[in-house]
Amino acid sequence: MTTRVRIGTATVLAAIVATSSGAQEVQITDGQMVASFTINDTEFNIARVQDNTATLTGEFAQTSRPCPDFCIQPMVPAAGVTPVGELEVIQFLQDDVANNTGLLINARLPDGFAKGALPGAVNVPFAALNADNPYQAEILQALGAKTSETGLDFANARALLVYGNGPWDAQSSRAVRSLIDAGYPANLIQNYRGGLEDWLHLGLFTVLP
Amino acid sequence: MIRSVVALFVFSVLLCGYIVLRPADVAPAQPVGADDLAVTRAQTDTILAPVTKTAELTNAAVIQAPQRTTAPGALVATTDAGMDSTAANVLAGLGLNTAQDTSPTGADPMLEMTTGILSGIGALTGETITAGPQTPEPESDLELLVVKALQEGKNDAYIDAMVNEAANAGTIRVPKILVTSEGHVDTHVLLTSIVTKAKIAAGGEAPAVPERPEGVEVRVVQRATESQQYRFYTVKRGDSLGAIAVNFFGNVDKYKLIYDANRSTLSSPNELRIGQRLNIPDV
Repeated sequence: MTTRVRIGTATVLAAIVATSSGAQEVQITDGQMVASFTINDTEFNIARVQDNTATLTGEFAQTSRPCPDFCIQPMVPAAGVTPVGELEVIQFLQDDVANNTGLLINARLPDGFAKGALPGAVNVPFAALNADNPYQAEILQALGAKTSETGLDFANARALLVYGNGPWDAQSSRAVRSLIDAGYPANLIQNYRGGLEDWLHLGLFTVLP
Repeated sequence: MIRSVVALFVFSVLLCGYIVLRPADVAPAQPVGADDLAVTRAQTDTILAPVTKTAELTNAAVIQAPQRTTAPGALVATTDAGMDSTAANVLAGLGLNTAQDTSPTGADPMLEMTTGILSGIGALTGETITAGPQTPEPESDLELLVVKALQEGKNDAYIDAMVNEAANAGTIRVPKILVTSEGHVDTHVLLTSIVTKAKIAAGGEAPAVPERPEGVEVRVVQRATESQQYRFYTVKRGDSLGAIAVNFFGNVDKYKLIYDANRSTLSSPNELRIGQRLNIPDV
């Protein structure tokens, strides 16, 4: 009884605030305001910017970066990889990353990652996944591969969801191809082509690592 | 009569010329003769400087100069592993790390980046995986055997007997340079190398090159404008290539200099023969 009253009060208060500022609520989907999850004892909350007039400015508002190098990327950079959007990314964080069966991978170089990242992401620059990195095997093991007599065994490797700066950024495509070249099973890899730009375009929260 | 005198004279001249000029071309395929030299050494046990400060290794370990047993030659199982890693691994097994600074530095950007990635992944997964040079751990059976014996405070004679027994039984493999001319395992050099490495790790200086190596035979060859000096050594009972390297260079790992200079007559570092004449290069 008490709980119900409190919820009612909160709803009324929110409605008053929304009405008084003239703004409409910006949910993730109808009925979901916040997506919460915990990764290794750290709590994350994903929501969207509530300012209805907000627009992107600066770097991520650009439409015509030169190609090359900023060419339009495929949704599926390698056969067998699953293309995903924002809702699947959030679902992946809640289902796989929170349960330590998957990792959300930012394929940007470290300085780019430091400027902003999706909540719960880990930075694995595409260059480090390349076969010419002498420590590539260690990274693959950290992703869940096991060493075996015949090389690396990916039977129990983690599910991966890879993203980069945006639809025009080849970093995630390259990371995905390097993973598959190294033997990572394509069916364990998802690709979020929209990347940071599409994420920001929807007003979704980012974090500074 | 005159003819035979002249022939004898010519032969003598040729022989003298051969003896004088011989060292100059000794490196390629010189037949090995044990009896054309009269090199003696009083005792093989004095090749090496006395081993001291062994307590540094471990409180329990006491290393004395080993008594070389004169067991009949036997085939021992060998490995291509170098002494350097063997000694380092034994010390690691005793809890002494001789490895160089293994922390990531700016010298290897890929290692630096990988280390960052691994710690990032580790923060999410709670697992720890590291990249780059690892602290060596005793891996081979020889290393484990020696570590155990040193921890138990066994003396050199015990270790020598134990290692040789295991090597003859084929249960351990020993570095080839530890195999003596009699097919015995030279544990003296192994233990000396461990002590030397421990001293260096503790900030001591590397052993100096001995000024007067034992059993050295020096030949000076006069040429038109210069005189060149060559050094030789004749293999005796109980010599291993590692021991000869210590004798001449103060460091067991320098064996490769000698091995390389004698490839034509030495097929493998564990194939030393008593009486074999080795060309000793300069440092």
